[in-house]
Amino acid sequence: MELSDWELVKKCQAGDANAFQELVSRYHQKVFMVILGLMRNREDALEVAQETFFRAFRKIKSFQGGSSFYTWIYRIAVNNAIDAQRKQKRNPLDFHETMDRVFEARNEVAKDPFADVHDRELRENMAKAINELTPEHKAVIVLRTIEGLSYKDIGEILDCSEGTVMSRLHYARKKLQDKLKAFL
Amino acid sequence: MSQCESLQEAIGRWLDGELPPADSEAVRDHVASCADCGAERRRLEKIQLTLGTILTAEAARLEFAPLWREVQHRIETKRPWHEELIETVQSLISVPRLAWAVPAAIMLVLGFLSLGKWPAGSEANNYASVESIDAHGRNVALLREDETKTTIIWLYQDPEGEDENVEESAKSGPAF
Amino acid sequence: MLKNLRNPVLLFSLAFLALAGWLHAADSAPQSVLVTVRSIWAGSKGDDFDPKLKGLEQQLKPLKHRSYRALKDETQTIPWQGSKAFEVPGGRSLTVATQEFQNDRIGLKIRLTQGDKPLIDTTVKIANKGNIILGGPAHEGGSLILSISAVAQ
Repeated sequence: MELSDWELVKKCQAGDANAFQELVSRYHQKVFMVILGLMRNREDALEVAQETFFRAFRKIKSFQGGSSFYTWIYRIAVNNAIDAQRKQKRNPLDFHETMDRVFEARNEVAKDPFADVHDRELRENMAKAINELTPEHKAVIVLRTIEGLSYKDIGEILDCSEGTVMSRLHYARKKLQDKLKAFL
Repeated sequence: MSQCESLQEAIGRWLDGELPPADSEAVRDHVASCADCGAERRRLEKIQLTLGTILTAEAARLEFAPLWREVQHRIETKRPWHEELIETVQSLISVPRLAWAVPAAIMLVLGFLSLGKWPAGSEANNYASVESIDAHGRNVALLREDETKTTIIWLYQDPEGEDENVEESAKSGPAF
Repeated sequence: MLKNLRNPVLLFSLAFLALAGWLHAADSAPQSVLVTVRSIWAGSKGDDFDPKLKGLEQQLKPLKHRSYRALKDETQTIPWQGSKAFEVPGGRSLTVATQEFQNDRIGLKIRLTQGDKPLIDTTVKIANKGNIILGGPAHEGGSLILSISAVAQ
């Protein structure tokens, strides 16, 4: 029977390295998606993802279960990504490489109903539009889009109120609509 | 403001499932019958779909084994002492740890309030205030010494004298 | 941000606040006041400054006497809101009553009497560990000067 996240955390805290590996296995893709949405390129996102899990390992003993494990790990991920972005000085155009790969990947996910997206220009401009948002606005829209997290969960991750989440989401969506209106 | 304009933000919340049931139903009914709001809904869904697709596709390519190897390597590698120190300091000043600022701020305030109690020198500030004087019909003078700020209350003698050495006393009065 | 305060840290902060308040309160309300009355003779003849009066030279300068001699020192502990009488040369008595302690200043009510007759009543606030000078009554061919100092305990 599969152990819950909390049971795995307890085992980690007791020194079970395999339990931590299991947790990483469960969340590595989702954490990477969140980070990729905040970062400008895949390589940086990978680096931040590795650092996120490393920091989670070092802090796991202080996790007391006051929040769910995923909000806890997403918080570490978002903070790391925002910190890394602020230190970054590279140009934000590397997403083009990612766009080309998406088309290759489309064949692999042909059965996915959400793969039926045809608007190349929308995708290409999406990356640019997202990158023009502030880290805080980027974070709310990425968390909501990828995970479908509630405003409450997003607020816990970003350490802000639900009202703030709501207004940031509304603002981010308005901004994206303005920048992408020609393609929507 | 038109109903559509006022509903703009609500459409996003409705799509996110964050509206109470009654409001959700009202928005759903409106969106179904309003062309502009229906278009708004489609735009929001398209943005969400596109972004989600991009990121999901990218994450699907992420292999677990190399990631885990790298994480394991970081765990097993001893970090330089200065990196450990920086991380410790950063964790201490992170938002939840600002709770430590509470006792620190209390210390500062108490220290500031206590400043007046610390003597800067035995004669540094000997200022005394005289709230009231009743010399019972005699003249009295108040003096303050400049350097130490010491207050001096001088009671003049009764002219008729109660002391045998009135003359001497009169001569020995302060010259001010 | 409130929700992020971990309970132990919040408890620590509250305990610390309570302790700090207690310490501050303890410091603010002295149990008693140590009062010292120094009786000094001042005259216009000679040029002698009693070495026992070292530390008071600057304070006595405005009085422009030529000689100063220590007569008597008396120290008593006066409880909070209490009073004590000090014997002063020349058949006089100085009664000191403690009033209040605020901002490191000690409120005193002082009465100098000659026998039963009041010479002066005054209410003063002096610096903790500071003093006030009260002088003027004739004494042995010169004048009597009293240095009244107080230390909160």
